[in-house]
Amino acid sequence: MTFMTTLSRVAGLIGAVLLALTGAMLTYEVVARYFFVKPTIWAAELSQLCLIWGCMLAMGHVLAIRRHITVNAVTNLLSAPLQRVFSAGALVAVIIFCAIVAWYGFDIFYTSWERGRTTGSILNLPMWIVELSIPVGFALLGGQAVVELLRLRDADAASLGSSHE
Amino acid sequence: MTLPIILIALFGLLLAGVPVAFALGGLGLGMLIAGGFSPLMAPQAILSTLDGFILLAVPLFLLMSNVLLKGGVGKDLFAAVQAWVGHWPGGLAVATIISCGLFAAISGSSVATAATIGTVAIPEMIQRGYDRPFVYGLLAAGGTLGILIPPSIPMIVYGFVTEQSVISLFLAGIGPGLVLVTLFVLFAMAHAKFTGSYQAVDKASRSERLNASIRALPSVGLALLVIVGLYSGAFTPTEAAAIGFAAALFITVVVLRTLSWQGFKEAVMESAITTVAILLIVAGAKVFGKAIALYRIPQDISALITNAIDGPGMFILVVACVLLIMGLVFEALSMILIMTPVLLPAAMGLGFDPIWFGIFMVIMVEVALITPPVGLNLYVIQSVARATLGDVARGVWPFLILMLVTVGVLYALPDLALYIPFKW
Repeated sequence: MTFMTTLSRVAGLIGAVLLALTGAMLTYEVVARYFFVKPTIWAAELSQLCLIWGCMLAMGHVLAIRRHITVNAVTNLLSAPLQRVFSAGALVAVIIFCAIVAWYGFDIFYTSWERGRTTGSILNLPMWIVELSIPVGFALLGGQAVVELLRLRDADAASLGSSHE
Repeated sequence: MTLPIILIALFGLLLAGVPVAFALGGLGLGMLIAGGFSPLMAPQAILSTLDGFILLAVPLFLLMSNVLLKGGVGKDLFAAVQAWVGHWPGGLAVATIISCGLFAAISGSSVATAATIGTVAIPEMIQRGYDRPFVYGLLAAGGTLGILIPPSIPMIVYGFVTEQSVISLFLAGIGPGLVLVTLFVLFAMAHAKFTGSYQAVDKASRSERLNASIRALPSVGLALLVIVGLYSGAFTPTEAAAIGFAAALFITVVVLRTLSWQGFKEAVMESAITTVAILLIVAGAKVFGKAIALYRIPQDISALITNAIDGPGMFILVVACVLLIMGLVFEALSMILIMTPVLLPAAMGLGFDPIWFGIFMVIMVEVALITPPVGLNLYVIQSVARATLGDVARGVWPFLILMLVTVGVLYALPDLALYIPFKW
C-alpha cells in the first residue's frame, strides 16, 4: 500500500514538473517569435504533450491527498461511520470508472502503436505517445483508489476531496 | 422520461460524495454503454479535452499567481494602495477592495483573492475598530472580483466548452468588474461615514507613498502587460500566461528577492494539484456532454424552456434562481460546467450574446456562492477570517444587493460587458 502511495507521489512530482516546463517552452516561443523572428516548430506541440502527461500522472496523488473537488455539504451532515460507507461506495465508483477508461484507453493506444499512426502535424509524432497517458494515468488513479478503499477504516476524514479550489 | 432519471442519477452521485470529475465522467460513460454507443468515446473525450491549447493557460496562470503569492506580493499591494487611500473615510476598506481588484488582475480565482488580501487586511481592519460583519462581507465581495477581472479560470473554461474567444470574455469582464469596484468603494466610504465604526489612519508621507508604490509597481506592471498583450493581439491567452509566469519569477526572484527555493517548489506543486482538480472536471464534463448530446438532452431542455418560459427576462430570472439553489453545495466551476451546455442553446435562441451570457453566468455564480444562509464561499471566508457563519452572513447582504444591481444593469445595458471587446 505504501508502495502505491509512493508511486503516486513520485508520479505527481513528475507531473508538476511537466506542467511548469510548459511555461518555459511557451515563454521561449514568444521570445523566439518577437526577438529572433524565428518561431519554433516544437513549443506548442510539446507543451500540450506535457499538459496531458502532467495531468494524467498527477491524478492519483491528488486523490491520495484528497484534493479532487467533491460536494461535501450533504455527506458532512451524516455520522462518521455512515460517511465512510458513502466514501467506500464513491471509491468503488471511481475504481470501476478507472478500469473501464484505462481498458479502452489502452485499446486506443495499442491500435495506434500497431498501425504506426502519427499526428500529421509539423513534428509528426507517433499518436501513441499522447494516447499512452490515458491507460497509465487511470491505472495509477485506480490503484490509488484501491489503496484508499483498503485504508478507509483508519483514515481521519472520510471525504474524498475538498469542496473548492 | 430519460431526463428525470439522468438528473436524479447525476445529483445523487454528486451529493453522495463522488468527486465531481468522476461523477460527471462516470455517468457519461454509463449512459454511453447503456445507449449502445462505443465506450471508446470516453477516453477519446478526455484526450481531446487535455489536447486543447487554450486549457494550457490554466496551469500557467495558476503558476503565475502562486509564485507571486509565495513572493508576498499580496502584502505589498495592500501596503501600496493603503498609502494612497488609507486616510480616506473607511480608507482601509477602500484599500481592501482596490487591492482585491488589483490582485484579481494577476489571479484567476476568487478564493485565492479573498484569502490573499484577507489575511493581510482583516486583522488590520478589526484592530482599527471596523465592524466585524462588514469586514467579512467586504472580503467575500472583494473575492468575487478575482474571477470577473481577467485573467479568470472559469472564463477560460467557459470559452473552451462553448468554443468562444477567451480574449473577448476576458475583455468583457473588465467593464462589470470596474463597476463593482466603484460600487463597493462608494458603499465602504458611506458605511464608514454613517456608522463611524472605524479609526482613521494617518495620511502617509510622500516618501512612504513612494516606497510602497515602488515595491508594488512590478506586480501592477505585470498585470498591465498581460491585459495589453492580450488586447493588442501580441500573444494568445496561453502565451500571456506563460509570459506572466516567467515575469512573476523574474519579479520575485531577481527584483524583490522574496521567493525562496522552498516557496517555488510549493508554488509548482500547488499549481499542479489545482490544475488536475480543475481540468479533470472539464474532462469529466466533456464525457458527460458527449453522452447527453447523443441522448439529445440539450435540445429537450431547450424546447422545455422555450415552451414554459415567456421571454428573455423571465429566462434570466429562472436561470438566476436555479444557480442560487445550486450555489448551496456546488463551487463555481462545477456550476458553470454543468449548466452551460444545457442553457447556452436556449439562451442563444432567445437572442443573448454568448460572451454576454458568460459574464452573466460568472457574476451570478459568485452571487450564488455568497448568498446566506448556505453558500460555499461563505465557508471559505469563515475559515479565512476565523469568524462565525452568522457574522459572515450578516455582513454580506449589502454587497449581494450591489452585485444584483450590477447584474440588473448588465441586463439592461449589455454594452457594459460587450463595449470593450467589440466596439472599442
